[in-house]
Amino acid sequence: MPPRKRPAPPPEEPSPSSKPQPDAQPSEPSKPSPDSEQPTISATILAQLPSQERLAYKLIFEAGNKGMWMLDIRKKLLMGPNIATKVVRTLVTQGLIKEVSDVRHRSRKIFMATDFQPSVEITGGTWYHNGRLDTDAVTTARRCCQAQVERLGAATAQMIHHGILKDDPRAGYTIDKIRDIIKTMVLDKVLEEVKSTGTGEFTTVRAGTMCYRLVTGAPQGGMMEGIPCGVCPRIDECSPEGIISPSTCVYYKKWLQMDF
Amino acid sequence: MVSQHGILLADNIISDHFGPIVSKVCGCLLRHGALSLLEIVRRLELSPRQVKNSLLILIQHNCVQAYTSPRGGGDKTVTLYLAIFDNVLHRLRFSKFLSVVRVDIPESEVLLEGLLQNGRLTFEQLVERTIFKVPEGSPLPTREEIRMNFNKLVYAHYVERCPKPEPFFDPLAVEQPTSTRKRAPKTVETVLSLEQKVVCTAALSDAERFSQIPYLMEGSSSANDGHHAVAGNKRKHEALEVDEEDSIIAESEVLWRINFERFIFCLKKKFCAERKKAKMRLGTLAIWEAFFEANVTNNDNKTVTSPIDGILERVGQKEGGTSMTLDQIISVLNDLECTSTTNNPEEFTFDLNKLVETCRNDEIESLVKKKHGQEAYTIFRLLLKQGCPVETDEITDRTILDKQVVHETLYKLWKDEYIDSEGVGLVPYRHMHPVTTPSVVHLSVCYTLDLLIKNLKFKMV
Repeated sequence: MPPRKRPAPPPEEPSPSSKPQPDAQPSEPSKPSPDSEQPTISATILAQLPSQERLAYKLIFEAGNKGMWMLDIRKKLLMGPNIATKVVRTLVTQGLIKEVSDVRHRSRKIFMATDFQPSVEITGGTWYHNGRLDTDAVTTARRCCQAQVERLGAATAQMIHHGILKDDPRAGYTIDKIRDIIKTMVLDKVLEEVKSTGTGEFTTVRAGTMCYRLVTGAPQGGMMEGIPCGVCPRIDECSPEGIISPSTCVYYKKWLQMDF
Repeated sequence: MVSQHGILLADNIISDHFGPIVSKVCGCLLRHGALSLLEIVRRLELSPRQVKNSLLILIQHNCVQAYTSPRGGGDKTVTLYLAIFDNVLHRLRFSKFLSVVRVDIPESEVLLEGLLQNGRLTFEQLVERTIFKVPEGSPLPTREEIRMNFNKLVYAHYVERCPKPEPFFDPLAVEQPTSTRKRAPKTVETVLSLEQKVVCTAALSDAERFSQIPYLMEGSSSANDGHHAVAGNKRKHEALEVDEEDSIIAESEVLWRINFERFIFCLKKKFCAERKKAKMRLGTLAIWEAFFEANVTNNDNKTVTSPIDGILERVGQKEGGTSMTLDQIISVLNDLECTSTTNNPEEFTFDLNKLVETCRNDEIESLVKKKHGQEAYTIFRLLLKQGCPVETDEITDRTILDKQVVHETLYKLWKDEYIDSEGVGLVPYRHMHPVTTPSVVHLSVCYTLDLLIKNLKFKMV
């Protein structure tokens, strides 16, 4: 098989719908490429543009896959808001630039040359779709991981990843993404991180490697949450002599009668 | 530094036990730190006599420690009084302390009760009290019996000799490097508060603290009767006299008090043993119980240490324990975080403070979950795990939560003082880190206990 060469980006092809499947297999080629392979600004396009549009296009193109915020464009080109909007709109209708949403600053209007694909910083990465967190995708991934751990017992991240791919080859999660999901599950105490001893339930895992298993038993803690003050929304306004006071609190009386 | 709610609670405890004037003096010391008698009088506008009497009560009940400190540049010194906050709070635990001794040394319970009620007593006073308390018709205990029971308490470190009444302590003096190294053996240098430093200065050496009342040699009382000692026996006789003198001093002049550290350790140990049971996997419970049963007394009040022989013996006595091999037991012990050092592979040690810390975090986590929901719980756990400030964007990335949700949740947590935030230079993002010292917990605890004391007439022993 001949080595895959990155195709030169077609200047007139915006490909707006290519974003929604970032976690598919060929994720590597879609990663931001090294400088040498970066698209270059076309002299013919520049020559065709009027002066203001040319400046704006040049500026936005130079910002690359990070795009440029409308306010920054205005500041750098010293344009009034109306003119800037008009210039940018012209460029968008010509298909030279596109508007992308920034996951970090949703209200900002970010513009980017159509030659570029938005960077992970802007799209938010795998778990984001159209600038919003794809909660369904996250939930599905978590469910897959949990199912694997339930099946395997104690398992390493690689084992979980391998199991998921085996069950559903189309899922296309990378190992890093699975690791991220497992880490959130550890934070939620669905899974726990343990070092394998190589015996008992860890027979399938090499001794000394970090693996994950399901958390068993009832969650510990909860003595404080049993006390009415623990979860009281008015605790800041409560004082022994105040209108809201522990001595007049109905929840408190109820709780004390229950226990004593 | 004690929080405002803590001071309020301490005030209430002292007021309930010793009245408003003593509580005023104690509150003043807690709010302003170490003060001299004159300064307290000036601040509280009480008569010097009232303040002095209050201080005496507080010292008698181990709530205040006096120390001498240099004043000005010359050789002049001044006596300062410092409230020991922890000891005030310990007053709420007295009934628990009693129950510890009731299980361990039941015959000595009445002696401990005397010390809890009176703070500091000499053995002589304890004997009088014990005899006075004996119900009519019951046989009076002999002095020897009481001494024996008392020495059992001292031997188990439940009771100690009182610290130095007025040690010299200069807060400005540069600490000697040896002493800091002794306190912080690892690279982390623990910063001791003034309270801890003063308590350390006042403390006696372990040998002094727990030296029992010497027993009188048999026949020593008869030695007093006649002086027909043979010349060869002279040395022996002198030794006897010295012993007797020591004994008299230990009985009538040395003040004794309960050893708070030991009781807290016992309560922590009991709590930890119970706490872990709930999450035990099959077969590990017997080993866990055996580990705690085989515990040997050590002076360290932070860890539980058990020899492997003792553990093996007790595991053998339990159901299904005989079939366990040494390797299995050691692997389970390691899994339970009971570790042995290379110097002493025969002994396993469990760090109580680590588990207590985990449990404390569990408590706060469950509060966060109940009050602010699952997202807040995830974020709080991340911050707790990192143990250092984390940038907002990093929190979003690592928890895989919606940015908007993260922002809202962080604000709610920050408003409730569960987390703290700090700006970094001109970067608009904020670094968040959890407030693990449970100021929030303090708040609720204060209210809880305050009400318990007020409404239920929750009196201590």
